[in-house]
Amino acid sequence: MSNSGMLLRLSGSLRDTLGTRRRQPVDDWIPGLNGGEAEHLFLRAKALYRMGDGKAAISLLRLATEITPSFSDAIEAEGEVLDMSGDTAAASVKYEEARRLRRNGRAGAPDRHFVLRQQGSHTAEIVAYTRVLKSLKKFALPNLARGNAYLADRQPEMALADYERTLKLHPGSLDALALKGEALSAMGNYAAAIEVFDTVIAARPRSPDALNARGIAHIALGHVDRADADWGQQLKLLNGQPAASAYVALRLADYQAALPHLETMVRNDSQDPYWRLYLHTALVRLGRPPSGRESADADSWGASLLSLQSGTVSQEEVLARADTAGRRAEALFQLGVATHAGDRSAARSYWQQVLDDGPPTLVEYAAARNELSRSVS
Amino acid sequence: MFSVILYGRNDSHGYNLHKRAAISFNAIAEVMSDPDDEILFVDYNTPDDHPTFPEAIHDTLTEKAKKVLRILRIRPEQHAHLKSKTHLVALEAQSRNVALRRSNPRNRWVLYTNTDMLLVPRTEGESLSDILGAVPDGFYQIPRFELPEMLWEAAFDRRDPVGNLAKLRDWSVRYHLNQVVHNFMPMKYDALGDFQAALREDMFAIHGFDESMLLGWHCDSNLAARLALYRGRVDTLIDKVFGYHCDHTRVAAANNKGRQTRMNDQDQYIWNVSTPYVPAQADDWGWPDVEIEEVRLDRETSYERFTAGLDAALKPATAPYTATSLEWHLYDDLTYDLDHTLPFVTDQMLTYPRSTAVMVVATRRVFVDRFVTAWKAMGFTGPVLVPNECEGLPSGLPGQERGAFEELLPKAEMFIFEFGLATQHADEPVRTGRMAGPLDTKRLKVVAKLFRQAASTEAETRPSGRRTPRRFVGVNVIYNKFWPLFTDYVGANINPFCSQVLAGLPRNDPSLRGKVLRFRGRRAI
Repeated sequence: MSNSGMLLRLSGSLRDTLGTRRRQPVDDWIPGLNGGEAEHLFLRAKALYRMGDGKAAISLLRLATEITPSFSDAIEAEGEVLDMSGDTAAASVKYEEARRLRRNGRAGAPDRHFVLRQQGSHTAEIVAYTRVLKSLKKFALPNLARGNAYLADRQPEMALADYERTLKLHPGSLDALALKGEALSAMGNYAAAIEVFDTVIAARPRSPDALNARGIAHIALGHVDRADADWGQQLKLLNGQPAASAYVALRLADYQAALPHLETMVRNDSQDPYWRLYLHTALVRLGRPPSGRESADADSWGASLLSLQSGTVSQEEVLARADTAGRRAEALFQLGVATHAGDRSAARSYWQQVLDDGPPTLVEYAAARNELSRSVS
Repeated sequence: MFSVILYGRNDSHGYNLHKRAAISFNAIAEVMSDPDDEILFVDYNTPDDHPTFPEAIHDTLTEKAKKVLRILRIRPEQHAHLKSKTHLVALEAQSRNVALRRSNPRNRWVLYTNTDMLLVPRTEGESLSDILGAVPDGFYQIPRFELPEMLWEAAFDRRDPVGNLAKLRDWSVRYHLNQVVHNFMPMKYDALGDFQAALREDMFAIHGFDESMLLGWHCDSNLAARLALYRGRVDTLIDKVFGYHCDHTRVAAANNKGRQTRMNDQDQYIWNVSTPYVPAQADDWGWPDVEIEEVRLDRETSYERFTAGLDAALKPATAPYTATSLEWHLYDDLTYDLDHTLPFVTDQMLTYPRSTAVMVVATRRVFVDRFVTAWKAMGFTGPVLVPNECEGLPSGLPGQERGAFEELLPKAEMFIFEFGLATQHADEPVRTGRMAGPLDTKRLKVVAKLFRQAASTEAETRPSGRRTPRRFVGVNVIYNKFWPLFTDYVGANINPFCSQVLAGLPRNDPSLRGKVLRFRGRRAI
């Protein structure tokens, strides 16, 4: 057994090790996005650090980040230990590294529920709220907050359990119910999610988040009209909020409606290359000249998509760089946009591939579905 | 880059408030480096006749602090609708939201802290603007370190923030000040309300602080719970900045009654929070439609307005001093020195809103002339209302409005009653035993009658919607026969004779005498 494997065994309780547990208590911690081994090391390091053994804590945290290099909480924890030991300069580097990692990756779509807009992993939050639940089991906040952390970390089953517990304690909580719907949807249980969202929307017909979520569940099931009806309603309720409105209009493939919001966001948020990407997309689909050559941080995925739009990289190169189903779908959607004017059949083929491979939560998925349904009719 | 939001009032909240606050204002300003940075201080419910808290301590603030400080004054009248719902005189959620609504929209961050905090960037020379400019979007807290009272009170120089921050760096090591107190999530640290940095757009999205929290305490924890839900994470800036709190427990603050302290319900406002939003206040948090006065310490100060008013209305004295007397045999002599008295009259006005409508009921033409001149030059925009019943007074002065007393009464927000002799000349010696002539007596009778009527009916003749009583200023009402009249109806302090002026709110004397006086006043008997 490796050192880390041994530490992993030591980190769990005897009952865990012997596998005698029958059911999951509310205040039990379950490892998440960073992997069980790394997270167990993290947990043990935190305990050692509180007991005064900073050296051992640092070595465990380093092991954890060797296993999962993107484990920002472990890196920040190492920063804290270094800081307390007086090595401020090294600590500062770790804190900055943790912040950089959390900033990495694309944030959730701004038209979605706030939980689904969050970035990075939430191991420290899951651990912290589990600790709160040891003392305060019967309150909504720790259950919901931990559920949200699980949901944001793409562990919808764990999130669902926390939301169910919240609903047992507070059966009338529409906030918990809406999150339960999101968890069901994330698990691919769209029909059950729609039932839940129906209840939420009946009680809160003016909830943009719930309308958006039900729209996504509908589009996943191929109910284009119902999805569009929800998003149309959401768009009205957003009252011109530029970021969210732009995304909803893009889901509808309503480029005319999206255009002013995209122009606003390009002005307001120069850091996010997707605004420029989508502005270019809208202009092309409206048959208007694009607003000049766009660029982004050369190493970023956004830069690849912008290069694809401007024709400076090949389709093969970009698809080779697409390391997730979502990124592949984003690239395929742009290929559809680029080819639509000259070859509609090719465009349809690209958009169909978006639907075949892409996640229904993706803005490109809904836009492709709408493009296809429109070109059929 | 960031707007710091603070609140308070001109009172004595906790031990040596003035020093703590000056130290804090100056230290916070010192770590600002972006031209858009600002400190928003909401002065909540300071009595109308007092200046705002920062104005009261302005001489202890640095030029930089004065430059970045914007004071938003919430009047007692604006608090009146909440008065019956709370035992507190200053409300945190309302204050912080009023500031947030009016904060600089170019700023990315809002920092909530209090007027007894010093923020020390860990890298010398770095500003808080630099720090906040470099960190990603999020919700940030830092731990609060306590500073013993002896250290800040005895060793800090209020106007030397650089020196104070240097002392803190030294003391923190020598005296082991830096102890992090961890807390349950989502609070992360103890005393979290002394540093909560959130994106301005996040605060707008979640509808600011929860304004139903009217009993004090836990507003910070409620915000932490809601922002933790919204952002998913509570981040720290402990590697960037340390926060020190000027301990002030020698005297308990008004909201601290030990175990008897009333506070907002923790379960409701922290542990059962299930959404970041406060939909019930989605449209009206921070009182978007209420006009809030803004006061600056770097321009158009009250002092500048005061001297502008007096310079316009007065010529400099030509003698080293003048004289008067309060000997008893002069009790009936109503002559007074207007040049000397006018500064004490205008002094009563400056803390009121510029839009105030003031009613002037007077005998001397020159008093009205001079007063109106000073009023306009002090920057007041409200009218000076002069009843037609007062004969011999000027008409048509800029900003002056004449009309029947009954018609003007519900327009007035403040009253000045002047009891002088209409026949007194400008160069006449005062208090020499001069008696009132028939014309003087006739005019004085009118002033006294209108005074009784105004004071007796004050509550029912207020401008529409006004809840708070209006102030009465009496001119030439000390040690003469109008002293008892004025103080029968108005709860005024005992003032020195030299000022010639008394002021206060109408008395509600429940005794038989008080009832008789009010009855006579109402019927102008």
